[in-house]
Amino acid sequence: MSDNPKDDGPSHGPNFDYQPALPISNGKTFMWLFLSTEIMFFAALFGTYLVLRFGAISWPSTHDVHLAEIWGATNTFVLICSSVTIVLALEAAKKNNASLAKSWMILTTLLGVVFLGIKMYEYKAKFSHSLYPQYPHSQIYEKADVYYSQAVRKRLAVLKAELENTTDRTEAQNEQLTLVDSISLDYVVPAEKAIREDPASPAGRILLLEMADAIYPRASVHDQHKRSTHAAALSSNFHLASTSTPAATGHVQGLNDLYPWLKLPIMIPGGNMWVSTYFLLTGFHALHVIIGLIAFAIMLTKTLGTSNAGLIENVGLYWHFVDLVWIFLFPLLYLF
Amino acid sequence: MNRYWSVLFLLVPIGGVATFIVAPYFNMGLPRDVSEHGHVIDSLFMFILYLSGAVFVVTQLVLFYFSWKYEQGSNDQPVKYSHGSHVLEIVWTIIPAITMLFIAIYQMEAWATAKMQPPDIRPLVEVTGRQFNWDFRYPGPDGELYTADDFVRTDGKLYLPVDEEVLLKITSADVLHSFFLPNLRLKQDIVPGMDQSIWFKATEKGGYDIVCAELCGWGHYKMKGRVFFLSADEYEAKLEEMRLDENTMRVVQDDTLDTDE
Amino acid sequence: MSTVTADPHSDAHADHGHSGGFLSTYVFSLDHKVIGLQFLFSTLIWFFVGGMLALGIRWQLAFPWRPMPILGDLLGAAEGGQIAPENYTMLVTMHATVMIFFVIIPVLAGAFGNFLIPLMIGADDMAVPVLNMLSYWFMWPAFALIGASFFVEGGAAQGGWTSYPPLSVIAEAAPGSLNGQNLWLLGVTFVGIASMMGSINYMTTIIQMRAPGMTMFRLPMTIWAMFITAILQAFALPVLTAAGFMQVSDRLLGTGFFLAEGAMANNSAMASGGGQPLLWQHLFWFYSHPAVYIMILPAMGMVSDILSCFSRKPLFGYKPMVYSISGIAGLGFIVWGHHMFVSGMNPMLGMTFMVSTMMIALPSAIKTFNWLGTLWGGHIQYTTPMLFAISFISMFIIGGLSGIFMAATPVDIFIHDTYFIVAHFHYVLFAGTAMAVFGAIYFWYPKMFGRMMNDSWGKVHFVLTFLLMNLVFYPMHILGMQGFPRRLADPYHYETFRNLLPMNQFISYAAFILVGLQIIFVINFFGSMFFGPRSGRNPWRSNGLEWQAPSPPGHGNFDFQPIIYRGPYEYGSPEVEEDFYPQNQPPPEAK
Ligand code: HEA
Ligand code: HEA
Ligand code: CUA
Ligand SMILES: [Cu+2]
Repeated sequence: MSDNPKDDGPSHGPNFDYQPALPISNGKTFMWLFLSTEIMFFAALFGTYLVLRFGAISWPSTHDVHLAEIWGATNTFVLICSSVTIVLALEAAKKNNASLAKSWMILTTLLGVVFLGIKMYEYKAKFSHSLYPQYPHSQIYEKADVYYSQAVRKRLAVLKAELENTTDRTEAQNEQLTLVDSISLDYVVPAEKAIREDPASPAGRILLLEMADAIYPRASVHDQHKRSTHAAALSSNFHLASTSTPAATGHVQGLNDLYPWLKLPIMIPGGNMWVSTYFLLTGFHALHVIIGLIAFAIMLTKTLGTSNAGLIENVGLYWHFVDLVWIFLFPLLYLF
Repeated sequence: MNRYWSVLFLLVPIGGVATFIVAPYFNMGLPRDVSEHGHVIDSLFMFILYLSGAVFVVTQLVLFYFSWKYEQGSNDQPVKYSHGSHVLEIVWTIIPAITMLFIAIYQMEAWATAKMQPPDIRPLVEVTGRQFNWDFRYPGPDGELYTADDFVRTDGKLYLPVDEEVLLKITSADVLHSFFLPNLRLKQDIVPGMDQSIWFKATEKGGYDIVCAELCGWGHYKMKGRVFFLSADEYEAKLEEMRLDENTMRVVQDDTLDTDE
Repeated sequence: MSTVTADPHSDAHADHGHSGGFLSTYVFSLDHKVIGLQFLFSTLIWFFVGGMLALGIRWQLAFPWRPMPILGDLLGAAEGGQIAPENYTMLVTMHATVMIFFVIIPVLAGAFGNFLIPLMIGADDMAVPVLNMLSYWFMWPAFALIGASFFVEGGAAQGGWTSYPPLSVIAEAAPGSLNGQNLWLLGVTFVGIASMMGSINYMTTIIQMRAPGMTMFRLPMTIWAMFITAILQAFALPVLTAAGFMQVSDRLLGTGFFLAEGAMANNSAMASGGGQPLLWQHLFWFYSHPAVYIMILPAMGMVSDILSCFSRKPLFGYKPMVYSISGIAGLGFIVWGHHMFVSGMNPMLGMTFMVSTMMIALPSAIKTFNWLGTLWGGHIQYTTPMLFAISFISMFIIGGLSGIFMAATPVDIFIHDTYFIVAHFHYVLFAGTAMAVFGAIYFWYPKMFGRMMNDSWGKVHFVLTFLLMNLVFYPMHILGMQGFPRRLADPYHYETFRNLLPMNQFISYAAFILVGLQIIFVINFFGSMFFGPRSGRNPWRSNGLEWQAPSPPGHGNFDFQPIIYRGPYEYGSPEVEEDFYPQNQPPPEAK
């Protein structure tokens, strides 16, 4: 009687005739409306990002925070592919070719998993550089001031105590101990001394900056200095950093990179806000990917023939949306 | 007769207008205004009061009249089978539109003076809101704020010269507060981390309340201050007296370890 | 089409082959009517809670620091029933939270939206009944979380219902922002999820499941209002949800979205910072200004239906009414900044928000005048719902006009965060919406339970509520005019406000009676369920499709296929003898 398919719910009473305004099923209407609310959700997140970024005094460049375009681009590509495969799954399902549809669906799922895998790898890279959104893990200091040097000193003291308390130290551990001591002597002590003696003079500040740079050289700073005509005059400030090996991504490695166990506090102006927004945006996006994967997993238990084409279409709509969000996220986070 | 129900709705305009007429006689009008700009706000308030009062009375009387006149038992005419009138719709869109635009434009200038055009003078005092107190930082003998000889008073009493344009810096040490001077028709939320100031010119000597008007925690209610407006000589004397007072806190060299450029 | 002539007094209506146990019929029901009633009962209970919290507020303002009898201990006051300062801010916060998130929004969209939408458009149920049921059950985590927050250490949230950071983010800043604030945020998020599911469902249902002939411009105003409200919800709420997550993350993960660089409280240096406290206000009001229209549009829709029915004449200017609702909704998205005139936001923005706010009065003006036009030349019947509906117009005018004062930016400098604001929003929310809800309950009660509520007691309830409510809220304008700030536990140690004690006491006495007399309503409401006279299908001789269904309607709602021939307001049509002309009655020549 009714040509307007009802998606679920109990069948009861008489079946009524309706006058639908749109020539699509209720489920699809529902999905479109749901996605429009999702747009507002991400609009709020993007808006937050833009407001905070352009309201911030400084903002780290992508290389300062170990964002590699290559991974972002790969992920973009992976998601676009998965959008294609889900369409192919739908096409197959419409032709009632359930096994082909299932293969495409599995491929889509796999691509989603690959995306998440890369995302996890990227997250791990952040964590290994102490870029956490969460205290007390986060070690980001906004500026190289006394609080920063205090934090470095504290961390060194902890390391030292740990090492000294190990009864039979290995050779490697002995070396570690020497390094800890030398960092203390080379950077922390002179900087703190200079600050204490003449708080107003720039000498202490320069020493602090030098220390920060040695621990965690910021690519943006070095890029600038390379370009700057005064590079030669100023390079002495960054001698340790410049003698160390350039990392694969083309930027200089600092103490934290060379000796990952050090985990010294790092200085990135605007870094905290950057981590917060980065994890906020990519986190909610990843959550949407996961929900999509769960939906795929449920779909895979069904026969993906014509009868379920509507379902595939709805899930596909959702998946395209997730893809679209990433297409905005990628340039925003990685390229600008 | 059923139509007497409508009398209830007649009470609304009567009571409503009466309240506003009677209130000033119980000293319940706008508080005393001791500022130069305050009368602009007051007159705008009164203007809107009269205007909306007129709209209020007319609409409420019409409401009463219709509900009186067209009560089923009292209206022997057949119902007016009408679905509306385009002419009327246009009329009652245009008239409020003009009124609203008029109010909007009329007030712009007052808003601009109040919030957008700070006078070109040096800040006189820095006001800091903290849970739950007002601190005031005065300039020392050099007459300039943010120098080493500044001093800070934490007793919640602010002294300012009367009849003189003053510019205050306002800052917050913790959460949001709002610097509210009812008698000067002045209010500004204080946002931590923002560079904010307010300006005014008091016209009468005396002491007036400083109220915190933004919820700032359990002690919000007691975050009370007083502002005193003194003549120029009295003000100078008071400054000196405060500076020498042993309860006054000194500002040593501006946080020397700060590495800010 | 035997349906139309269905005997109005035969409601011996069999459930269309529905069977199931108690649980699936009354608890986990998929039936929109049961879900609507579940929402109604839940919100009434929370209305009571919100009222009790209001009593706490009024007690403190009338008798500062005096132990509060009976209620004191219940409201988590300090030893001996005295309301401690931090409890006062908690009372204010939770009063507003309960009233807004647990009473007004769910009673309008949840209870009436659910109950009325399918019935009024001729559908057998919502488009996705399962989600509809879930939208009710997602309220329960919220109920539990907010309810529990009263008992956690530090007490419930104390940041005001607006929950402005840094106060709400920095745990050291207020005792109640330990766990209370977390529970608050979670609770509000659950309410959000619930409304979200509901509103998408409503939109789908209204777009796709109207009976044949029920064109968009034949929908009753109630449905239009619910539709537009659902759109508002759908587009505004996600923003609050996102902002809520950010606040949670600031609190639990140590991010600093809403904290300025080096934020401090209680002398302890705080998290990272670098964020902006005002960002929260923008996000919050981007939701909460549209939300105030979410809290009034459905009431306006229901009032329009009631007015037309008891004036026995067509609604004046149906299409302008529809357009003005849409206009209010559209403009509602660009005026949020009027809550932030003195917040420290760029004053230039203040200027633009002021203009857009002024413009939003226009569609409201159209609505007001059209209601008056509806009364004009009618045959007004003073039933209880009608009295409530007329009072809605009267009160909405007061509440709306006080909005104009605040929209005027220079005036708002003075009256912002004073009782003038409190007066404003209680006039629109309590005197407006809550009164309309009372009216709607009296009006649709017969459809819900198949019995009438007692009209005489209804009128007593109306008159007393109407008078006392005005005594409570009207004087608040006067308080506000003197600069009396809101959220102040003890205003009387300010010299400027010392003389306001008597007036506050007067208000409080009125409020006590106001809350107390609601017992009349409660008894009438529950009593009529068992002892009210049976109502038949269409006791008010109304045109709406819902009145053609049995009272109460069974599963599937209609015992006939509804086909619609005209709009819902054809009262006094010359085409028929009767003074009403149901939407599904075929025109005479077709007979
Ligand atoms: C249902 C809820 C509801 C509704 C409908 C409204 C409607 C309006 N509100 Fe209100 N408002 C709130 C709920 C609501 N408000 C709440 C809860 C707060 C406080 C939140 C908090 O801080 O806790 C608030 C706060 C608030 C503020 C912030 C004040 C401050 O904090 O400083 C402002 C400022 O502009 C404002 C303005 C308006 C305006 C202009 C309207 C307009 O829509 C009104 C339009 C109606 C009319 C104007 C009347 C009818 C028209 C006529 C009779 C025609 C003729 C009229 C003229 C020519 C003027 N409201
Ligand atoms: C819908 C919203 C709503 C409603 C209905 C009310 C109702 C009332 N409100 Fe409230 N109020 C707010 C929303 C609301 N309020 C908001 C948003 C704030 C701002 C908070 C903030 O600053 O953060 C506020 C703040 C506020 C203040 C200011 C506090 C301050 O700033 O210091 C005051 C003070 O008097 C007050 C009083 C009252 C009173 C006396 C009522 C009375 O009208 C209450 C009457 C109660 C009843 C009539 C309930 C009776 C019960 C039933 C009918 C149900 C019975 C059924 C069963 C038991 C099944 N309210
Ligand atoms: Cu400070 Cu309220
Ligand atoms: Cu608003």
